[in-house]
Amino acid sequence: MTKNSSPPRVLVVDDEALIRWSLAELFTDVGYDVTEASDGASALTQVSDGEAFDAIVLDYRLPDSNDLLLLEQIRILQPQAAVVMMTAFGTPEITAGALKLGAVRVVAKPFDVHDMVNLVAQAHGFKPH
Amino acid sequence: MSSPFKPQQEAERVLAAIVESSEDAIIAKSLDGTILAWNSSAERMYGYTAGEMIGRNIGVIIPPDRPTELQDIATRLSRGERVQHFETLRIAKDGRRVEVSLSVSPIKDASGAVVGASTVARDITVKNSRIRQLADSEERLRSIVEAAVDGIIVIDDRGVIEAVNPGAERLFGYAAAEVCGQNVNMLMPEPYHSEHDRYMRHYLETGEQRIIGIGREVTAMRKDGSTFPVHLSVGEMSLDGRRKFTGILHDLTARVAMEERLREQAALVRLGEMAAVIAHEVKNPLAAVRGAIQVIGKRLPVGSREATVVTDIIARIDTLNNLVRDLLLFARPPQPHPLPADVRAVLTTTIELLRADEAHAGVRVTMAGEAPPIMADVELLKIVFVNLLINSAQAMKGQGDITIDISADAHLCHIVMTDTGPGVPPEVRARLFTPFVTTKSRGTGLGLSTVRRLLEAHHGDIRVDSPDTGGARVRVALPLA
Repeated sequence: MTKNSSPPRVLVVDDEALIRWSLAELFTDVGYDVTEASDGASALTQVSDGEAFDAIVLDYRLPDSNDLLLLEQIRILQPQAAVVMMTAFGTPEITAGALKLGAVRVVAKPFDVHDMVNLVAQAHGFKPH
Repeated sequence: MSSPFKPQQEAERVLAAIVESSEDAIIAKSLDGTILAWNSSAERMYGYTAGEMIGRNIGVIIPPDRPTELQDIATRLSRGERVQHFETLRIAKDGRRVEVSLSVSPIKDASGAVVGASTVARDITVKNSRIRQLADSEERLRSIVEAAVDGIIVIDDRGVIEAVNPGAERLFGYAAAEVCGQNVNMLMPEPYHSEHDRYMRHYLETGEQRIIGIGREVTAMRKDGSTFPVHLSVGEMSLDGRRKFTGILHDLTARVAMEERLREQAALVRLGEMAAVIAHEVKNPLAAVRGAIQVIGKRLPVGSREATVVTDIIARIDTLNNLVRDLLLFARPPQPHPLPADVRAVLTTTIELLRADEAHAGVRVTMAGEAPPIMADVELLKIVFVNLLINSAQAMKGQGDITIDISADAHLCHIVMTDTGPGVPPEVRARLFTPFVTTKSRGTGLGLSTVRRLLEAHHGDIRVDSPDTGGARVRVALPLA
């Protein structure tokens, strides 16, 4: 849950710069504090070293990650964070696996970025500005 | 050198020796049938000794079911005729029936009057039984040839057809009478049609075997001009000193179709792998472009020309994405997870989806009948029915009726969808399920191909035709739970 005093924190993990940019812009617009990561290693650094995140938007496939291991690690390190997964080519197995590991939702690429922001906010009970 | 016999006696003795040593039974009898002479072969053949038979009537050895035979022979003899190779039956002493060939000649007295008859009887029991065996064997061979599914064609050394079996008649659609006496090249398409005479001459001149004893796949032509693949093996024989050739043709249509299907499936697997890679590589940048353009669009003045263009760009991106989605669905359909499902409920949901689209407001859908639960993956089945309904709706240009009829037999649920559209012309019907073939100005041609793949994955089936009453009729069959 978000502290009332500080803005909610979201981590956007995708190697595609335009996706990071679009989501960062919209999350910032509605009052989020946005952190970006372009691969699995830096995402892992963010979740282990930094402050707690309220939400994490995580791409399934990254240059150094192509399975659900990263999600599993994130769920252990930041169990409070609402994680929404993105996938360009999701199989029912991947979706089921991600949901089993505690992901809030698996969203197929491409998606409506406004819907994504609303979904994330809803997932951790934040009302966007 | 002197002889103890007079010439007359000598001649009679020689004659008697000939009669005695003859392989044939030789019998002399008077006109009333009284036996006058009975040689040793007659004893062997009929089992009666000369002592038993001389003085008795010949009727003893004639079967009771041929009462007039003796009389008939006597009548012919009295006219001075000879009876030659008359085949009949006689009864031996032990009751055995002996098949004989009789030659009967009149015996005349010094004045030339017929006083009796001499009969030479040859036992043809063995010969006849051999003939019968031969006939049986020929009949057996004939019935094999007649019953053969394969076509069998005999030609002479000039390529003229001498005989064809019913199998060949069926394969080619000709009656035997239509092809016998014709050049066998009438059963071949070009270039074989024109080249066959040359092939045969080449073989007869050089003995070089290109097909005889080897066999190969060739193309044959039916009476209606259509061609089909056959395996042809040719054997050579010599009849009355002339060379003949027997061709055995095995229809490969089913095998070739199956090979084609296997090739198609292998191609689909490769396409599926490719589609998966493309899907990922296309969807990721699409997501990037769509996200970025949405953010940019949000910053443009509401109602501006630029904002409208951005909305259009997003719509195009979604069209592109749908294309990739359809390709993926066709090339790599999800594995169905079938559960017992109510087909009527699935159809009801699907019809509601169609009704939600304003473009199909003029389409009325009615549904009748019901069926026990089917085994199906409901999500995939919805894709099937949505595709079929949208196809019909588009064919009717958004105006018309779709009638859905549900029924079931012991194993299958049948769903028949009939629309009031223009129907499906036969030339389109053949390619209806071919991927990337479309009659629409816009469309990937994947809809029905995907429908068929999804139904096949359900062990179901789909057929499309146009009933006499008009429109198009789609018949879907799905296994019951």
